[in-house]
Order: sequence, then C-alpha cells, then structure tokens
Amino acid sequence: MTMRLVSAELVESRQILPGQWIQSFAAPELATGSRAGQFVHVRTGDYSGLVLRRPFSINTADPATGIVTLHFRTVGRGTEWLTRTREGDRLDMLGPLGRPFEVDPRSHHLLLIAGGLGMAGIRMLADEAVRDGRQVVVLFGAQSASNVYPSSLLPDEVEYVVATDDGSLGHHGFVTELVAEYEAWADQAFACGPHPMLARLAQLAAGRRARLGVAKLGRKRGGGKADPLGSTAARRKSFLQVSMEQTMGCAVGACLGCTVIGVDGPLRVCREGPVFAAEEIAWPNA
Amino acid sequence: MKAKRTVITFGDMRVGKDSDRSKRTPTVRKVKSAIVPVDRIKVPGAGRPRVETGGSAVADLGAPTAVRPTLAEQAALDKIDLSVDLAPEHGGLMLANPIMVASGTFGYGVEYDEVVDVQRLGAICCKGTTLRPRAGNPPPRVTETPGGMLNSIGLQNPGVDAVIEKYGPLWQGWKVPVIVNIAGESIEDYVEVARRLDGVPGVAGIELNISCPNVGKGGLQFAIDRDAARAVTAAVRRATDLPLLVKLSPNVADVRPIAKAIEEAGADAITAINTLSGLAVSADRTRAFLGNTYGGLSGPAIKPVALRVVYEVAQVVSIPIVGIGGVTSLADVLDFMACGAVAVQVGTAIFADPELPVRLGDELRAECLARGLSSCAPLVGTALPKRAGAPSAKGAEYRP
Ligand SMILES: Cc1cc2nc3c(=O)[nH]c(=O)nc-3n(C[C@H](O)[C@H](O)[C@H](O)COP(=O)(O)OP(=O)(O)OC[C@H]3O[C@@H](n4cnc5c(N)ncnc54)[C@H](O)[C@@H]3O)c2cc1C
Ligand SMILES: Cc1cc2nc3c(=O)[nH]c(=O)nc-3n(C[C@H](O)[C@H](O)[C@H](O)COP(=O)(O)O)c2cc1C
Ligand code: FES
Repeated sequence: MTMRLVSAELVESRQILPGQWIQSFAAPELATGSRAGQFVHVRTGDYSGLVLRRPFSINTADPATGIVTLHFRTVGRGTEWLTRTREGDRLDMLGPLGRPFEVDPRSHHLLLIAGGLGMAGIRMLADEAVRDGRQVVVLFGAQSASNVYPSSLLPDEVEYVVATDDGSLGHHGFVTELVAEYEAWADQAFACGPHPMLARLAQLAAGRRARLGVAKLGRKRGGGKADPLGSTAARRKSFLQVSMEQTMGCAVGACLGCTVIGVDGPLRVCREGPVFAAEEIAWPNA
Repeated sequence: MKAKRTVITFGDMRVGKDSDRSKRTPTVRKVKSAIVPVDRIKVPGAGRPRVETGGSAVADLGAPTAVRPTLAEQAALDKIDLSVDLAPEHGGLMLANPIMVASGTFGYGVEYDEVVDVQRLGAICCKGTTLRPRAGNPPPRVTETPGGMLNSIGLQNPGVDAVIEKYGPLWQGWKVPVIVNIAGESIEDYVEVARRLDGVPGVAGIELNISCPNVGKGGLQFAIDRDAARAVTAAVRRATDLPLLVKLSPNVADVRPIAKAIEEAGADAITAINTLSGLAVSADRTRAFLGNTYGGLSGPAIKPVALRVVYEVAQVVSIPIVGIGGVTSLADVLDFMACGAVAVQVGTAIFADPELPVRLGDELRAECLARGLSSCAPLVGTALPKRAGAPSAKGAEYRP
C-alpha cells in the first residue's frame, strides 16, 4: 500500500508494563494494507518545540476493526507527550512506511526473537504467521521479570520462551543463548532488538549451515543467477531477517539521515529497511 | 476594477502609492507596478485557509483539512500573480510561486510524491550532487535539538551522471522547475558538474553549495573566503548558461563582502542560509553523538540568524535573494520577504509536515488577496532600513 498522511483517532491507551504503553488508534487506512515490519512516523506535539516526527513499528493491525496499535516505551519528550494524549485525540501519522518481513512460502516453522521493545517490531509477524497456519516460537529477552512482555498479549498458538538478564524469570542470560535449541527446528528467523543482539544473531545465522549441515533455502546450485542482495526474492530466501533502528528525519527516503552501514554501502532504514536480510548489513564484529 | 488610491496596510504602517519603497528594495524591480489592488472579495478565513478541527491542542494534530474556496473566490485567487523570476538578467528562471523546497530535505522530488503534489511547488532544489558518487558520513547522521535538528549526511549522492540519467527524463516532464544543488572539493569539480548539467532537459538551474571544504586550499570552505567564493562562482558562470544560484553559509563573521563578490562574479541569485555548524553529545556523554562529530543546525532555531543574513545581504546586492532557515508558517515567509527575500525555501519543517510548502503557497495567495495585492512583490523589503547608513543598516553589530 502506498503511504499516506492519516488522521488516527486514539481509542485506547494503557500502560502494560512500567513505562511501556500500548495505544490503539482507529485508522482504517493503516489497518488495511500494512504488513508486519512496517512502521509509522508520528507527529508529536509541536507546541513543545519538537520538530521531528517519531518512528514506531506497527505493533498490530486489524483490517476488520480498522484498529492499529503502537507499543512504545517512554524515553524522552516525544514518547512522554504520547502518554498524555486522550481518547478521541487525533494524531497525524505518516505510513505505512518501509519494507516488511518477507516469509518464504515454504517456511512452516518461524522463530521470532525480540529484545525488550523489539517485541513491537515482530509482534505483527506473529499474527500474520498464525493466520497463515505456520508454527511460531517467540524468544524474548528482558532485563528482569518486571519488564517481561505479558504472554496474554500474544496469540494462543504461539510458543513463548523468556530469558532475563538477572534470571528472575525464565532462562538466566541473554535471549541469544536460547537460539541454539531452535535453530534446527526453524525454517526462518526474524528479529528485532538492540544492535548487539542483532549482531550476535547474525553471527549465529552465518554459522548455522555449517553446524547443522542443512541445505539453505532457495535456489538449487546451478539454478541461474542469484537474486540481487536486498531484493524481495533474496530476502525471502534469507534465514535471518532483522528489523533495525536509526534516528530519522523524513522517513520516506529523502534526507539520507537514517542510514546503517551495509556490505555494499549505506542503506536507508526507512526505505531499504527497517527489515533487512542479515547478509546485507556490515556487522561491526563480523 | 477601481484603481484609484493605492493604499496598502502593512500592520500599523501605511504605504502610499507615492512611497519610494522600491528604492529600498533593490532585489525587486517591479515593485511599483505591482501595487494594483484587485477587487476586494471577502474570503472566509483568508490568510488562514486551513481550518483546524477544533478541540484540544492534541486534536489539532490530525491531518489538516482545507476549506475549499467558492468559484468566485477561486477566480479572485487565480488572478493573483505569485510568479517570481530568479534570474532576470540571464534568461530567466520563472517560478510559479515563491515557495521552494530546500536541498537535502526533499530528495530528488520523487520521495514524497505519494503525499505531496510536487507540481504545485515553486521549485525543487534536489540533494547536493557531486562529480563522483559519495557514500556520505558514518551514522548516526541526524538528531533533534531544541527547535531544530543537526544533520551530517556528508553529501551522500550517486554522482552527477547517475542523477542526470535517473532523474533527468522524469524532471523533463514536470511543470515544477528542478534546481540541481551542486557541491565539490575544488573549483574544477564544480565546473565539471556544471558542464555536465548544462543543456540537460529537465534541469532548470544550478544552486552552488559552497559550504564545502576547498581541498586544494587547505580545506578552507569556499563559503568563508571571499576570494574563493568569487572564484568558484565566476568559474561556474563561465561553464554554464543555466541560471546560477549561490548559497551562503552563515558560519562567517561578515557575510556582506562574500555576497557582494558572488554578485560581481555573475550569480543570478543568492540563497541564504545553509546550516550552522553544531554539535550534540551522546546519551552516555562519552563522545559526540553524530558519526561525523559535527553537524549542521537547521529548523526554527536558526530563523533569526537567517533573517539577519538576508537583511544584511539585501542591502548590498541587487540580485534576487531566496531566504532559507526555519520556515514553518506563512508568518515566517512574510518575515523573510520583509527582509528582502523574493522567495523562500522550506527544509526541516517538511519532515514534520510534508504538505507545508504547497499549503504555504495557497496561504500566501490568500494573504495577497486579503491585503488587496495583485502580486506578492510589495511584500518584499518592507522591513529594510529606510535610509542607507541608518544604524540598522550596519549589519551584525550587536553589543551583547
Ligand atoms: C523504524 C523504527 C521503529 C521503531 N519502533 C519503535 C516501537 O515500536 N516502540 C518504541 O518504543 N520505539 C520504537 N522506535 C524508537 C522510537 O522511535 C524512539 O524511542 C522515539 O523516537 C523516542 O522519542 P522521544 O522523543 O521520546 O525521545 P528523545 O530521546 O527525546 O528523542 C530525540 C530524538 O531521537 C530520536 N530517537 C531516540 N531514540 C531513538 C531510537 N531508539 N531509534 C530511533 N530514533 C530515536 C527521536 O525520534 C528524536 O528525533 C523505533 C525506531 C525506528 C527507527
Ligand atoms: C538532512 C538535511 C540535508 C541537507 N543537505 C543539503 C545539501 O545537500 N546541500 C545544501 O546546500 N544544503 C543542504 N541542507 C541545508 C538546507 O537546504 C537548508 O539550507 C537548511 O536546512 C536550513 O533550512 P531549514 O531550517 O528550513 O531546514 C540540508 C539540510 C538538512 C536538514
Ligand atoms: S529518514 Fe530520511 S532517508 Fe530515512
């Protein structure tokens, strides 16, 4: 769907965890046609001198009700302003933006990995995958039990595995340590979270074939030219797709402000991303 | 139309037909002839055609809904001539209206086309273009600051040949003029880029971004050295017949000798200002936030600086001036015009409000109608000092 400027009406706002909110908006234009991995660029109150919009992943989108939700943490003036909006207020959202996750039609087992607020980046993919009859495991990492995403907010069909840095709930350690158990099961993996987490996952994904001795999804050898890096077809065949963040200006590809370093040069998170195949990114410790 | 006594009210100041205002506004030549009142037609909410949906400040943030003028109102609006020529001495660069979009904030004109009718803009200045492709600066490249933002894109662009190949044919079919903003590290670079753009259909003009280090001259910016600014302008002038705009940097002690040198070297117009040099610190305060350490400050925070520069330059040159810096509303447009700008560019504000530049064109038209003007030329230069040599004509001689 093409992007639009949408006037989204706040219908519900609730704090789900300390400092974390889920807000629901009536925005049929966004609810229809948005795909998992895409985001919106939200205009926050300009009376307080903020000049840039704020990007947020589309957490869920329900075409039937016309409702989209955003899940965010208050970290600064823009997100604090959002918590002060009231039901009935209309927010100016630009979206849907960016390229979505690309699931290979042959993938039955999807491994979704989220660190903290990264849950907002992959949450909608869980809905889409369940709808399409795929099996989904969500691995989730947080600092401690008090910031663990409530399982009640995930579809029932999803297997939910938690790791906490302090061991107060689930696995004691990083969420990346849970991956080994599922890497043979998974046909594809999709992740969103802090940069070091994504870098570690990329490293794991790169070594996976060798460890498992499994055939890579995709073209058989000698089956013609490989799909160009960054193309939808290449992404669809990639084992690991990551959703990345960068500070943004325009969010439509005009200002070149949101780049991350890719193996072939700078990539715009807002246009080529926010979802990338792990192979496209020049990871710092690769 | 009754054209008897032409009295226009500028706030609390009255300007008569016999006013010698035109002498104080060297950047516009047709000032007197432009003071022709059109039939006064009542326009509901003229100057403010955008109507907020009411409610709280928050509710006002919904996407704006414009009130459609009636047929008669539209006819009166259509009569108003907002056109402006940015190269009157050199073949002309006619803009249908004086609201342009600033280089680096609107890509190549295609990125926003799903939400903006780009053909209704006065002109588009495309992203800074260099001879060879440039990968730009390391991320992060942008961050918000009070009332503004810092950017350090580092002139990422695919190089002039790729720009011509990819966008030339598209621009050729456009009604809106596209001005290619060019940058270089040596005079030869600028000249070569200008040569390649010369004669390319779809390229309406060139804007020289001289806020670049002159590698041949120890890395000193062209923009801060009068002789270098003169030399690069003159060299590009010789290399192309395209209308030539030169963009000033505010990061200098006195901008006037530089502006004068640029005019003497043959520029058709001056655009001002580029960003101010700035810095932000990382959240943990262990380093600078931007990958490139320094960035350029833009947005409402720089408007007073931009106004000051336009105000000073307007008093020393007679070529058209385009005001840039922190434009977010019609009031800002009028402020720049009052200081001597014949047109403005909108930059950072587009990121929050992509429809703003087109809306400003409509608002300016309604404003002219409400004031009984047939064009916006009489709005130009009204705040400039009345006599040369008056204290306010001396430039940035403030004493804090
Ligand atoms: C594609 C994308 C999707 C995102 N999705 C979500 C989400 O679903 N939930 C969520 O809580 N956060 C998300 N973020 C991060 C979110 O944009 C920032 O937390 C938010 O902009 C902070 O705004 P603020 O005014 O409260 O903070 P401030 O610190 O006051 O913000 C100052 C500036 O920095 C920018 N900024 C600050 N942190 C980030 C960051 N981590 N990434 C990018 N820009 C930042 C802001 O946009 C703003 O321009 C996403 C970021 C991107 C790029
Ligand atoms: C992200 C960004 C990129 C820019 N890139 C360029 C550029 O390539 N060339 C140029 O001459 N000016 C560039 N500028 C400066 C703007 O054209 C303009 O002069 C400046 O932002 C002030 O206007 P504003 O306050 O309306 O943004 C850039 C500004 C921004 C914010
Ligand atoms: S935010 Fe402007 S290009 Fe991505």
